Amino acid sequence: MLTIALSKGRLANKAIELLENAGYDCTAAKDESRKLILEDEKAGLRFIMAKPADVPTYVEYGAADIGFVGKDTLLEEGRDLYEVVDLKYGKCRLCVAGPVSLKDGRLDLIPNKRIGTKYPNITRAYFEGVKKESVEIIKLNGSIELAPLIGLADCIVDIVESGRTLKENGLDVIETVADISARVVVNRVSMKMKSDEIRPMIEKIKEQVALE
Amino acid sequence: MIDAKFYTADGFTDTLPGICAFKKKTEGDLRELFRLYGYKEIETPGIEYLDIYSRPGFVKEENLYKMTDQKGRLLTLRYDGTIPAARYAAGVKEFDSFDPKLAPLRLCYIENMYRFAESGGGKQSEFTQAGVELMGSADFDADVEVIEIAIRSALSAGIRDLQISIGQVRLFEGIANEAGLDEKNRNIIREAISRRDTVTIEKTCDMLGLSDDMKQLLLMLPDASGTFDVIEDLKGRVSDPQSARALDNLKHILTALEEDGFIKYVSVDAGLTGGSVDYYTGVIFKGFTYGVGFPIISGGRYDNTVAVFGKEMECVGFSLSLTLVLTALMRQGVSMEEKPVDAIIGFELGQRGKAYAEAERLRSEGLSVILATDGMSKADIEAYAKSNGVGRAVYFG
Repeated sequence: MLTIALSKGRLANKAIELLENAGYDCTAAKDESRKLILEDEKAGLRFIMAKPADVPTYVEYGAADIGFVGKDTLLEEGRDLYEVVDLKYGKCRLCVAGPVSLKDGRLDLIPNKRIGTKYPNITRAYFEGVKKESVEIIKLNGSIELAPLIGLADCIVDIVESGRTLKENGLDVIETVADISARVVVNRVSMKMKSDEIRPMIEKIKEQVALE
Repeated sequence: MIDAKFYTADGFTDTLPGICAFKKKTEGDLRELFRLYGYKEIETPGIEYLDIYSRPGFVKEENLYKMTDQKGRLLTLRYDGTIPAARYAAGVKEFDSFDPKLAPLRLCYIENMYRFAESGGGKQSEFTQAGVELMGSADFDADVEVIEIAIRSALSAGIRDLQISIGQVRLFEGIANEAGLDEKNRNIIREAISRRDTVTIEKTCDMLGLSDDMKQLLLMLPDASGTFDVIEDLKGRVSDPQSARALDNLKHILTALEEDGFIKYVSVDAGLTGGSVDYYTGVIFKGFTYGVGFPIISGGRYDNTVAVFGKEMECVGFSLSLTLVLTALMRQGVSMEEKPVDAIIGFELGQRGKAYAEAERLRSEGLSVILATDGMSKADIEAYAKSNGVGRAVYFG
């Protein structure tokens, strides 16, 4: 029996589709109820529906053998696990964004800037490690774009897909921190103890990704 | 502020009766196992100077429990068994005039370790490790001995499904030399291999313009697992002498493990790198079982560590996390309920002497006996025995 942790929402549906195309029976996972654990004994699969940020935790502790999760969450959580497949979907960028007036290097002129973000660890690693700057980080949980508009922060670090929300609020991408897509992660012990089940699954997933 | 006196501190927990008895029994078995191999147990202090750990690559400093002594010097709680053993071994005066290879030190320990694991996590900050250090030998026979003790220690603790992965850190370093990787890219690829992250390996190879053969070789490392077949396969692909020696070393170790009957527990994992501790210099191994998401065994060769404390001494060692083993066993359905007491003896006023004599008689036979207090009546005694599963209730009236 393999336990698979899915990020609730769009990413979960995409993961289920991918597994079905790879030849796994995912009828259980498509249960529209509010159950959090969906099990199919015959198929040998058990799905758990978790908050995206918790997927790496479930997998690291071995509560789930495999997880489908965005690279942004992996970077932020910094968990000790195997990152085996780039699914190439859910593509977006993790960016520094702010008022248009800060573009073309003018952001760098602000010393000790305040940055609003859902991703404090990535933000710190980027500004301290890559840009060699001290920054003040303000952890927010949603509508990050508000922070520079209302004067809470100079800029933000957030996921950008189309950039529409930014544009409509007079903000723009200033720098790209990382390219993001969905990944398959595997617990280190499961990879050894259940390799007969996990390795073929990884191979089939890779084949599907190559087809798409 | 919570009223903290009622609670255990964050990251710490009680070991309850039953589990505790099982743990202490297991510790005794491990102690005996180590003794049978000629290892001498030591206790190192629970508190050390922070300095012994503050070398690059030993540990992440933020994971140490730090405090100061009365003179303001920085101290840390014991983080592992290896570094204190290295500090101790470097100070053994005999080795100033005597080649350690002629009589390597065989040390073992069963101690609690302290680490800030992570904020709010379920990882315990205090856990028990049992381990051995074979200090003063560079021979692969020493590697074999330590791996075999590691396997036996897990078996003796009751682990049935055990898998040991063995790698060699020099394998990758040699390949990295061959590819001409600088420090930065070497670290990126080493880390990517240990995370099985082929995307990053591929990207970095392309960026550096490495040859296709080299790219294929680096990409196969995270996936290469097996036994002698993997070693032979890799041998045909590496040309750096360091990598070739690493593969020979693995082959020697595997051959001995096969001869000694341990091969069924073992597989080669070419993607094993040092991970969070990078003092390993040769063979490296991890042990896995069902029920816990973390390796229960971790070990390897560390030839340059004792030199940090002032003496050249090649070493190999391992540790078994007893705490993780207990978790695994419980999840695998092993019962750790403690047996009830064998007998309870009550007595009427004035009959204490007889009751005491009977209690002593039973105790001398190895039975556990409770001598009643607070003037428990015959009915009280019987009720107690019934509700607590005590086999024998005796009353002197």
